[in-house]
Amino acid sequence: MTELDIGDVAELDRGPLPKPPTMKQHLRLAWHDVSHGLVDWRVWLLLGMNDIRQRYRRSRLGQFWITLAMATTIVSLGFLYAFLFKQPLTQYLPYLGVSFVVWGLMAGIVLDACMVFISSEGFLRQVPMPKSVFVHRMLVRNVVTFLHNLIIVPPLFVIFGVVPSWTWPLAVAGLVLFLLNGIWIGLFLGTICARFRDMPQTMASVMQIAYFLTPVMWQRSQLPDRLRGVAEFNPFQAFMSIVRDPLLGQIAPAVSWEVALAVTAIGFAVTAIFFSRFRARIVYWL
Amino acid sequence: MASITLDRVTVDFPIYNAKSRSLRSELIRRTAGGHIEAIDDSHVSVVALRDVSLTLKDGDRLGLVGHNGAGKSTLLRVLSRVYEPPIGRAVIKGSISSLTDMMMGMDPEATGYENILLRSVFLGLSVKQAQANIADIEAFTELGNFLKLPMRTYSTGMMVRLAFAISTAVTPEILIMDELVGAGDAAFIAKAEERLNGLIGRTNILILASHDSGLLRRMCNKAALMEEGRLKLIGPVDEVLAVYHNETPEEVAVPADEAAPAEPDAPLKSEPEPAPEAQERAYGEAEKGTAQAEQAGTAE
Repeated sequence: MTELDIGDVAELDRGPLPKPPTMKQHLRLAWHDVSHGLVDWRVWLLLGMNDIRQRYRRSRLGQFWITLAMATTIVSLGFLYAFLFKQPLTQYLPYLGVSFVVWGLMAGIVLDACMVFISSEGFLRQVPMPKSVFVHRMLVRNVVTFLHNLIIVPPLFVIFGVVPSWTWPLAVAGLVLFLLNGIWIGLFLGTICARFRDMPQTMASVMQIAYFLTPVMWQRSQLPDRLRGVAEFNPFQAFMSIVRDPLLGQIAPAVSWEVALAVTAIGFAVTAIFFSRFRARIVYWL
Repeated sequence: MASITLDRVTVDFPIYNAKSRSLRSELIRRTAGGHIEAIDDSHVSVVALRDVSLTLKDGDRLGLVGHNGAGKSTLLRVLSRVYEPPIGRAVIKGSISSLTDMMMGMDPEATGYENILLRSVFLGLSVKQAQANIADIEAFTELGNFLKLPMRTYSTGMMVRLAFAISTAVTPEILIMDELVGAGDAAFIAKAEERLNGLIGRTNILILASHDSGLLRRMCNKAALMEEGRLKLIGPVDEVLAVYHNETPEEVAVPADEAAPAEPDAPLKSEPEPAPEAQERAYGEAEKGTAQAEQAGTAE
């Protein structure tokens, strides 16, 4: 950088107007955003934890309201659906419990992803922080909630006699893969929703439908044969199976892993281009 | 070493009304061709900065003057890297601290000590560095045991004092201020000023937007006059202030509030057919108003 004084401003004006950034530069800046977002881990960790703390401050049970609310849902729905679906309670309740806890994480991340930039307006309009910081903050918040919900699972397993299985570590792998997807989901939906304010509501409806179409309260085996193949392409079902099935001592079908990995690859590829293109505009839309 | 180079920076804000912000109407607009576009006049954008070129280097203390809506705040945001200009180029080198919102990142439910950590992290400090600043902040704020209580129990003055103390505990290479920040009650002003002067002295580049001529003469070694989004004049403080006051002899001491009644300043531009000569006049703060109205509309 040569030193320019006030008088040199005219120099600048003489050259051709600087070109708008090329796609390559956009990609580089987006990568810079994402990589620096990871480096700023203390910011998003603190923000994410603070989100939880803030919500339950001054309440006696504090964040364990998360656990209690989930436990209430699982037990009441468990009894109802076991009766409606004519399922033995001892099998159904652990299934529903684990499904609900995992679904809570997945739906929570997708819905929260819509608000990552909108709800961070105060920060984004003031300081040039990497935008991905707010995606990680959202993920921290949801993981903390998930861990609180997870407390319900051990007692459920003990009561209904689900024995520990060597497949459990596979659930962790599935979970990590889903959280990785949370990054592109946050960047992608967060950007779209900042521009189109009907999207958060639309996504809420989409997730409602997804909840019924995904084996959360019902089981894959209840589907008629001709639908079973199609249902495997539901990304929510794929991620649900790679996390839930190992927890229940089963190995997720290979097709679930294939679909999940394909979604990861496509999601990141699309988001790389999309987020690079619109990253700089986000703050103008807030 | 810090430096700032703006090369013909233009910043325009799309103003979306509720209608054009919905994906559905966007799809209809795209597919239905010109018809709806003609009816739909929602695609309006406010040009907040026009062709601004500027270079600053170490030692520069730039005062920024201009009416409300002249683009000062937008320029400050470009300089603090918040707005990446869609047209033109901005190269800003050095760490930046923007004291436009000192409370940013603070949580009224958290205690004073927790807020020191929270706010510091936003200023780019590590938790360790933030902890190192605690003693200094304790001494400066004189809040004593209040620091152990949630910030919501504080008076406004106490909150400002804390926010000020934390925000000024970090020395950036580029310091950006929208009006001089002060800290609460009269007894404190002298102390705050001393602290701020120290900070300004240590920083490489200062950019201060203000309506207070005396302050600009004291703090700055050059000044820039903004008018309708353009950088009309840049040069020695006295010269710039003379031009500014010549144009507006009635202006002596405007209250330091940017959010004061907006003035018709920023030209509006209609996007489908940019016709510079057919510019509409609109309120300079329209962008803010729209954004806030929409915020309120979408809030749960």
